Amino acid sequence: MQPFDLAKLKGRPAFPFETIAVAISFSPRLEALLAESKWIAENLHASLLLIHVGEKTAEKEARLDKLLTKLAIDEKKCRINWMDGEPVETILRLCKLNVVDLLILGALSKENLLKFYIGSVARKISRRAKCSVLLLTNPAEGTSKIKRFVVSGEDHVKTIHTINTAVYLAKHFHVKEISIVKEVHVPGLAMTMAEDSTAPEASRLRKNLAEADEQELHSVTEKCDKDGIRLIEKVVRGKQGYAISKYARDKKADLLILNSPDTQMGFFDRIFTHDIEYILADLPCNLMIVHSRPH
Amino acid sequence: MTRLTHHELIAFLLAISVMLLFSRIAGELGKRLKLPVVMGELLVGIVLGPTVLGMISPEIFTWLFPRSGNVTYAFDGLFSLSVVMLLFVAGMEVQLPLVLKQGKVAIYTSVSSMVIPFFTGFAVAWYFPSLFGISPDSESHLLFSLFLGTALSISALPVIARILMDMNLFKTNLGMIIIASAMVNDLFGWLLFSFILSMRVHTGEGGMSLGYTILCILGFGIFMLTIGKRIIDKALPWVQTKLSWPGGVLSISLGVCLACAAFTESINLHAILGAFIAGIAIGDSVQLHEKAREIIHQFVTNFFAPLFFVSIGLKVNFITNFNVVIVAIVLVLAFIGKVTGASLGAYWGGLKRREALVVGFGMNARGAMEIILGTLALNAGLIAAPVFVALIIMALVTSLSSAPLMRRFLD
Repeated sequence: MQPFDLAKLKGRPAFPFETIAVAISFSPRLEALLAESKWIAENLHASLLLIHVGEKTAEKEARLDKLLTKLAIDEKKCRINWMDGEPVETILRLCKLNVVDLLILGALSKENLLKFYIGSVARKISRRAKCSVLLLTNPAEGTSKIKRFVVSGEDHVKTIHTINTAVYLAKHFHVKEISIVKEVHVPGLAMTMAEDSTAPEASRLRKNLAEADEQELHSVTEKCDKDGIRLIEKVVRGKQGYAISKYARDKKADLLILNSPDTQMGFFDRIFTHDIEYILADLPCNLMIVHSRPH
Repeated sequence: MTRLTHHELIAFLLAISVMLLFSRIAGELGKRLKLPVVMGELLVGIVLGPTVLGMISPEIFTWLFPRSGNVTYAFDGLFSLSVVMLLFVAGMEVQLPLVLKQGKVAIYTSVSSMVIPFFTGFAVAWYFPSLFGISPDSESHLLFSLFLGTALSISALPVIARILMDMNLFKTNLGMIIIASAMVNDLFGWLLFSFILSMRVHTGEGGMSLGYTILCILGFGIFMLTIGKRIIDKALPWVQTKLSWPGGVLSISLGVCLACAAFTESINLHAILGAFIAGIAIGDSVQLHEKAREIIHQFVTNFFAPLFFVSIGLKVNFITNFNVVIVAIVLVLAFIGKVTGASLGAYWGGLKRREALVVGFGMNARGAMEIILGTLALNAGLIAAPVFVALIIMALVTSLSSAPLMRRFLD
């Protein structure tokens, strides 16, 4: 395999998505995954790169050809890459090599406990990828149903890129509004309030905290390129990762969009679950992790 | 079955009433002077105890707080329950994922703020035991050295959280680093203290081995924080929606806490360990409603905490046991060990010098946790009354000095 040039990736903006890779595994959901990927690629005017890590057999080739014909996927805009090797490493390497902007993977909403702790291919990739990743939990064979977006509005430098990416997607997916959700978790607050706060003091403190959170979220959305899309601001209470996941589930969101984690999550992060690991443990809907490549 | 007599019951109820009412008055007065509530509670204990009331009117003191008879058993049970409850709510605020989330700086700070004060305290107690009235040849020499190291390495999350809230630092990066590091200090501090207490039991009886004790502590901790936590995560939504609110979650949480406390006590680890770990497992659950957390805190903080902290003053005469040398040594060790350890850790973790010092002085507040630790050590015979008094003074001085010293280094 030829070495890749990291300079091509450094500083590359989070969007537009020009090259979209789809990791395929010939599971029963392959047709739906390809159909949804095609819809996304067409709407974003991107080219498709299909990646299969495993043995290339005549049977697999025939099945894929048949599906590509059935779904009318333009051969000029679609390349197929058959590779041998360890799936996670190979897919990540191919993504870098081909300067992939978005990697689409099919994923189960919830995996069994053992698999979750060991890590499935999709989840391992989503923790490590150097490009944006879209985990499709329930890919649609017909017209895509990705209409309701929930985006994390956490207080982080990456958030503006992530919201701008969500706006770009919304525009191409003909979505009119996006919910920007800020999660607020203040460890120790109950303990602090219990000791010596009077009722008015406690409610004033809560009110001040809530106002500060709303203000912080507003200052983030103000800096984003709205491009005609309505950004609905929402502050939710609860632990990071879990609260937004619950919100997305309650609101029946189709797509949850987050910043990529700052550090690579490991086994201990699954034992002492936090942030994105809450979401990966039980995906509330399709999940997109936006990778803002540093300059 | 032994029962409280009519007069004993009256004395018992009246004593609780006096402790609660006076500690509330003192707490409210102290609040106006920006003093921690625990300080008012301790003062009430000193006034009602042998230090003041016992000197002025020994008859009233012994009638209200008898030193023998059935009432003492009733008080002992109540105070044991109080300390178990206090450790339970302390555990409820320990959230280990926060440490992983804060990353390198929190890990460096927490490790350094435990290791440096621990070895400072241990070394001084080990090489100069006579300063604390300990004979170098006595059985308690090692245990006392281990205890002093632990006492100096622990932090007090409730006091620290309050200070950060008052200084508007609670939600800042600096505040989260301090909170996360204090959580780790608390966790390992209480694990270590349970180990020391169980060693004392074993030394006395010649029973369980050191390896078995460590295995029990680790096994129980790992079980509760993995499988136990998963069971709690699954059960809490049902408890909070299908059972009476908030009675259901309150009784189940406290029931689990007491069961865990009973279990650790039964395997010769102290009951506090079970309560503390149960607190972590329940408090860290994403399923626990914030309101339920508040109710548990309110219940414990406003009933059990005053009883416990007032009872401290009832046990010890603070004037006769005040030893200026021991107080000075403990204070100097506490400041040097904790401020140096936490500041260096924060600095190594990537903070600027002034920020690291803010973390150092923030972590220095010992407050209620130190007082609980000292009381348990005194009850277990690990320390003598003069060391206990020194620890109480150190807890108060570090808590009161933390905020002003932090302000000096804040931009």
